[in-house]
Amino acid sequence: MTTSFILNGRNVSVNLPKDTPLLWVLRDELHLKGTKFGCGIGECGTCTIHIGGKAARACITLISEVEGAHITTIEGAEAQEEPMRSLQAAWDEVQVPQCGYCQSGQIMQAVLLLKDNPNPTDEEIDSVMCGNLCRCMAYRRIRKAIHLAAEKLNALKTEKRPEKTSPKQQETTSQGEK
Amino acid sequence: MEKDFKKETQKQEKQSFSLSRRHFLMTGLGSCLGFGFLSKAGAEIILPQKRGQDFEEIQEAGNVFEPNLWCRIDEEGFVYIHLVKAELGQHIGSAIARLIAEEMEADWNKIRLVYLDTETRFKGYYCTKDAHSVWESWDIYRQAGAAVKYMMRERAAAIFSTIPEKCLVENGNVSYEGQNLSFGDIVKHGHITRQISPEEMANLPLKDPTAYRFIGMKLQALDIEAKITGRAPYSIDAHFDDMLYARPCLPPTRYGAKVVSVDDTEAREIDGYEGYFILEDPSETIIGWVVVLAHNWFAAVKAADILRIRWTDPVETAVEEKDLQEHAEELLKDSKIGSDIYHDKDVEMLLKTGDNFLDQTYYCDPVAHFALEPLNVLIRKIGDVWEIHSGNHWQSLALGKLAKLLGVSEDKIIMKNYFVGGSFGRKLSSDYLIPAALTSQLLGGRAVKLLFTRSDDMIFDTLRSPSLQRIQASFNGDDKSINAMRYDVVAGWPTLAEAPSYLRKGVKGEYDPASVSGADHWYEVGPFHLRAVCNGLVQRSLRPGWFYGGASGWTLWALESFMDEAADLLHSDPISFRFNLLTGEGRNGGVEPDSVGGARRQAAVLKRLGEVIDWGSINYKLPKDEGIGVACGGGESRDMPTWCALAAHVHVERQKGVVRCKKIWVVIDAGIIIDPDGAEAQIEGAVLWGLSMALFEGAEIKDGLIKARNLNHYTPLRISDVPEIHIEFMENAHKPTGLNGVAVGVVAPAIGNAIFNAVKVRLRKLPMNSEELLKAFDQIQKNKA
Repeated sequence: MTTSFILNGRNVSVNLPKDTPLLWVLRDELHLKGTKFGCGIGECGTCTIHIGGKAARACITLISEVEGAHITTIEGAEAQEEPMRSLQAAWDEVQVPQCGYCQSGQIMQAVLLLKDNPNPTDEEIDSVMCGNLCRCMAYRRIRKAIHLAAEKLNALKTEKRPEKTSPKQQETTSQGEK
Repeated sequence: MEKDFKKETQKQEKQSFSLSRRHFLMTGLGSCLGFGFLSKAGAEIILPQKRGQDFEEIQEAGNVFEPNLWCRIDEEGFVYIHLVKAELGQHIGSAIARLIAEEMEADWNKIRLVYLDTETRFKGYYCTKDAHSVWESWDIYRQAGAAVKYMMRERAAAIFSTIPEKCLVENGNVSYEGQNLSFGDIVKHGHITRQISPEEMANLPLKDPTAYRFIGMKLQALDIEAKITGRAPYSIDAHFDDMLYARPCLPPTRYGAKVVSVDDTEAREIDGYEGYFILEDPSETIIGWVVVLAHNWFAAVKAADILRIRWTDPVETAVEEKDLQEHAEELLKDSKIGSDIYHDKDVEMLLKTGDNFLDQTYYCDPVAHFALEPLNVLIRKIGDVWEIHSGNHWQSLALGKLAKLLGVSEDKIIMKNYFVGGSFGRKLSSDYLIPAALTSQLLGGRAVKLLFTRSDDMIFDTLRSPSLQRIQASFNGDDKSINAMRYDVVAGWPTLAEAPSYLRKGVKGEYDPASVSGADHWYEVGPFHLRAVCNGLVQRSLRPGWFYGGASGWTLWALESFMDEAADLLHSDPISFRFNLLTGEGRNGGVEPDSVGGARRQAAVLKRLGEVIDWGSINYKLPKDEGIGVACGGGESRDMPTWCALAAHVHVERQKGVVRCKKIWVVIDAGIIIDPDGAEAQIEGAVLWGLSMALFEGAEIKDGLIKARNLNHYTPLRISDVPEIHIEFMENAHKPTGLNGVAVGVVAPAIGNAIFNAVKVRLRKLPMNSEELLKAFDQIQKNKA
């Protein structure tokens, strides 16, 4: 069965049995190794990716379910800039990863948390992130990094100029200046 | 003409020889091997890895100077540090790099970490275990760095036409009266002919710790960038286009079942299915295995599930939990068996003296490793060399076994280095490498990727052995001292299963330190009889594994619970009771340089803990059903103890018997802390592992196998279970010891003691669970009535 979808902004087509989990398509067919295998039953979160901008566990998503979908993996998430950029910067500053194996999944989950909730409390972080197991138990730093990323994002917002011109207006202005 | 040509060749040889001369500078080891080389593309992991850059792209610039086994320097002044340790999450490469860079006076921005695949010249060194890496590396890497500094300064002095004493080495440069040569410049000049013998190297002066720029400072770990961007290479990611995927069909028990028949009629319907092998393992590590082969992983998973296999009935090894316990109890009673670590005189007699006597027995269930990256091996033969891609981190042990299996010499096997997605002791064992090797061998050396599903990984785990421990002691009521102690530990012996030549000699018989470490404690207990008994039924039916924290995961559970029970019996405060027994006399005085101070250092962390938690008054301020308990230890081994004291604050919810840990305080003395931030991360992880095993993890055995097969039934700690944690390191200049072992073991007893302080219930089985608590509450009610 042929399935076509948009992966990290690019059109992709694969020809595989319809019950093939997306995780193996990403890793073995398309050679994107950043998304990991941990449990195969959607309980550890290491395979977290975005489908249509929402978190999904690739190990329990079948290829038949993603026809025409927009899929983003850790490899493509950087291109989305914020909140990913601040999140990765915070992750680095706090030195979150230990073995690092769960970290793609943690980051993919955390970036959506911040999109939905720019100022999460500890409880809110826990309730969104509790599906992501970290066997090295780097949880304290995961929480700290999410808070730090939220701070960074808030700082960015206050740095932006208050005036809001539409993109079209801005275009006209710059052309006018020429 | 001939003469000139010869002279020219000799000149060139001499030049290349002096630039790439590798003088064997290993203290205490043998002769020099090998010749100069440039980095083989893709052969090693080299950090730091910049965004967008693959590991293969990093190449040395121009000529390379390799002053000793531990580093090489190129013309741009990049210092490549050679590492034989595995990255398991402890950022060990960055920690070790600090040692050599410090003494070399390197520029940290020019440091590159090179994680080496196995090479003959480092034979025996590939082993990352027991929190030993920094301690093992402390002397040799600093000395190697000092040797490089010596050579750089001497060569630069010659170029400056002055003496080395007038040159200053700083930040990767050598300067003299306003002139400057970088390490790269010096390498470019060439002709570094200084040779330094192991003896000379060991005697080079080392830096005053007050001048440290890297050791003890905050530096970013160099492996982290890759882990944040999904680029870190784990062996599960290794791939060759022509490889076949293999999945095991595991027998009904670890040992004892033989394959009778295989029917793959249904499997043949699966697109991609290639066939199966019944494996015969001459080492008898793998018994009753069938492997399924396919062209893609998903086909292998499905085929293995529907393959119809009949095995012989493994009656003897299809054990239940209680069979293992009962067998342990039988063994405990037999005083003729077992090995003695200590057997001082008159223990039996002295146990009958004194004012008080305590005799308690403690149990621990098995625990699963559950490393998030499941077991995986990719193996192939290229020419006459076998190439192995796995996260195994006792490569030196594996090489011996694989060489025997494959019928080649060890230098015909290369184990490639990868980051490891968690091990916690699992990937020290070579057991899972054997079926991959057998399968590839059957296919003439074709690339085979053996992968385990999570369920396979749990079934094939080398579980932490169940244990039974009994402690007896007699006490003096007036000064709360101990007259004598007898301590029996009955458990499986992982070292016996995996590496029997590493068993240790006791005063009677051999024993497995991985089964008893921690029971050889530092308290003054008078004459001491410590006996270790191997639970043969565990050994025959499971394969007990090396585990995070070593034996202290169960020994400290018994010992530190017992100490609190004793304090209670004697109406003594748990901290003062212990403190007064940490006298440091006799065998507990400690040994230079690794256990300097002995029991006195354990006493010091305990005292500091008391101050930190305000032990004197905090217990009076606690609400009902809340308690704080303490535990301490020196471990994970007596040879290289890290001293640790920990307090846990718990709340016990009586209706459902739920224990919640609210806060943990931990004080650690690990000598000089090389990497303060990394050390803190290690302790955070260790403490939470201890908590997870105390309250959330326990593997029930049914029919000879673990009953839980995935996260729906096996429940390690999640982010929402994390308590507040306060970590403090003692500051001193002692030799650095390991970081995480003992911190794992002290958590469970601290919690057990806290529960007792909260609700006066004493639990003696791990994991602690609500069932036991509720039973105990019931009993208390009955006793009152």
